[in-house]
Amino acid sequence: MGEGHDLTRRDEWAVQCMERQLVVMEDLAARAADVPAWLALERQANSYLRHLGTWLAKERIFPGAREEMKQHKSDLEGYARRARQEVAGVDPDVLESSRAALGLRLAVIGKGGAGKTVTSSTLARVLARHGRKVFAADLDVNPGLAFSLGLPATEAGMPEGAIEEHAGSIYGWQLTGDMTPIQVVETFASVAPDGVRFLGLGKIGPASEGAGTDKSAAKQSVAALVHLLMGIGEPDWDVIADLEAGPTTPFERYHAFSEDVVVVVGPAWRSAMTARRLLPMVEDRRLTIVSNRFRDEPDHPGLPARVRIPFDPRLAEAERQGLAPLDACPDSPAIAAITRLAEMFMNQEVPV
Amino acid sequence: MKIAVCGKGGSGKSTISGALARHLARQGHKVVALDCDPNPNLGISLGVPRESVETMSPILNALLDAGHTHKDPKIEAEVLLSRYGVDAPEGIRLVATGKIERPSNACLCCGSHNTTRQFFGELPADDRIVLADLEAGLNDLIWAKPGPDDVVLAVTEGSAKSVEIARRACRLAEELGVSRIIGIANRTVSDVDAKRIGEELGVEMFTVPEDRAVEDADHLGVAAMDADPSSPAMVAIGELAAQITR
Repeated sequence: MGEGHDLTRRDEWAVQCMERQLVVMEDLAARAADVPAWLALERQANSYLRHLGTWLAKERIFPGAREEMKQHKSDLEGYARRARQEVAGVDPDVLESSRAALGLRLAVIGKGGAGKTVTSSTLARVLARHGRKVFAADLDVNPGLAFSLGLPATEAGMPEGAIEEHAGSIYGWQLTGDMTPIQVVETFASVAPDGVRFLGLGKIGPASEGAGTDKSAAKQSVAALVHLLMGIGEPDWDVIADLEAGPTTPFERYHAFSEDVVVVVGPAWRSAMTARRLLPMVEDRRLTIVSNRFRDEPDHPGLPARVRIPFDPRLAEAERQGLAPLDACPDSPAIAAITRLAEMFMNQEVPV
Repeated sequence: MKIAVCGKGGSGKSTISGALARHLARQGHKVVALDCDPNPNLGISLGVPRESVETMSPILNALLDAGHTHKDPKIEAEVLLSRYGVDAPEGIRLVATGKIERPSNACLCCGSHNTTRQFFGELPADDRIVLADLEAGLNDLIWAKPGPDDVVLAVTEGSAKSVEIARRACRLAEELGVSRIIGIANRTVSDVDAKRIGEELGVEMFTVPEDRAVEDADHLGVAAMDADPSSPAMVAIGELAAQITR
């Protein structure tokens, strides 16, 4: 730790996070044996760099760790450079297609009730049915994704072995340092139908004033799960997160791990207003707008849909019963539309 | 009296809050409507023109624009209400606590939650009704922190996810010491549905029927109370207003 300047506990936490990011980078580098692996490593370095940019902008929150952050920036840039050197002789077309074939990093956002969870769960399972490794995370303290994946709802958050205390982290908890993020997924995630791996935030606790350690599952889990998502660099894993409704979660940058953001919008005017307000928060990501529950309404102005999921009362019935739509009504045109969306992502079709 | 309305996103919190405020005002109460959603849209259900809803300046943003944070300097809630509130039909005063469209218009430490806490906690409600439409989910209920003298409405529609969140909201409200918790089974299609939800929540219940007129108004972005005040759901919410204040 740097001498000659004071670090707050929050700064100390940031420094530890950066050290752990380098562990992830080194692990990826040690195992990198082919072009996709090096491209994934470059992407991971860039993802961390992008997030570091938001930290550097928050001088009020991290007043002391500026030097460490600048050093970290240079370290990450070193990894990105090394990855580019490793693939320097490869045909640019091959590079481009290999880069597009890397596992997905999808964050799903929208107004409450728009259909985020049905979209993310069905996407996850369709991708898994194509033989892909899929990790789906519920970044909503209101349980939903588990139901829609076909798992029983649980009040448990991140398992005990996946988290540890750190006074500088939000609510006093963070991801374990005993293993890498992908090892945490492989060790602790629940296995949903079709082999989708799942982790969620768990139950929210009662009011507690001020900082310090908080034992409620959601508060123990949130920082850990956000960092877990951000630390999965593997080229062959698809990562999907279902974000709690509205602008708070993108404001907190729960989507920091993502390359693609899916904005789900319903036919109601307020749903469109919400989507328009959300767009500036994620404008640095590739965007896919999904219109859900549409009958014959036109797209909302300014929100051209890449996919339209038609209204189907059978989906509402599946929701009423707490069943996964993919199990309850597999032949629904709504499922067909989400399947098409999954194929667009798998075939690396670029959003318009 | 203070009323906090909570539930899953899309369960109908704002629709019910807006119509409830209108009915309470019609029944002779002075009403302050608090939009605590950082994506403020309660104005639509109250009957405020869409343009005003899109452009109204929530308290937190107004404070940030003036170089303050949510607590520095501390301005009295009543002053903020008169300065940043907008008038809604039937004498209702509407104010939003925060609006997050980009990181610069949120409080770095809390988003907009502290403004919600300050407002719901501090606005006097001796001779009027303060009705807060909370952000989706449970978190905002913790921030608003209703107490023994307040009323909590836990709104749910029929989906298992929505009912589960309302159930958790009821337990949370009990933990906070709220003595009057009312479950609202919204968009119910059958008595069986309403009964099932009531058993899950285990609190005083009220039923609002499925109503195509409400859905149509929602698609257009207008208040259901203005589109068709005699529709079944709006009539039911009128009865809810009477039941709450009785």
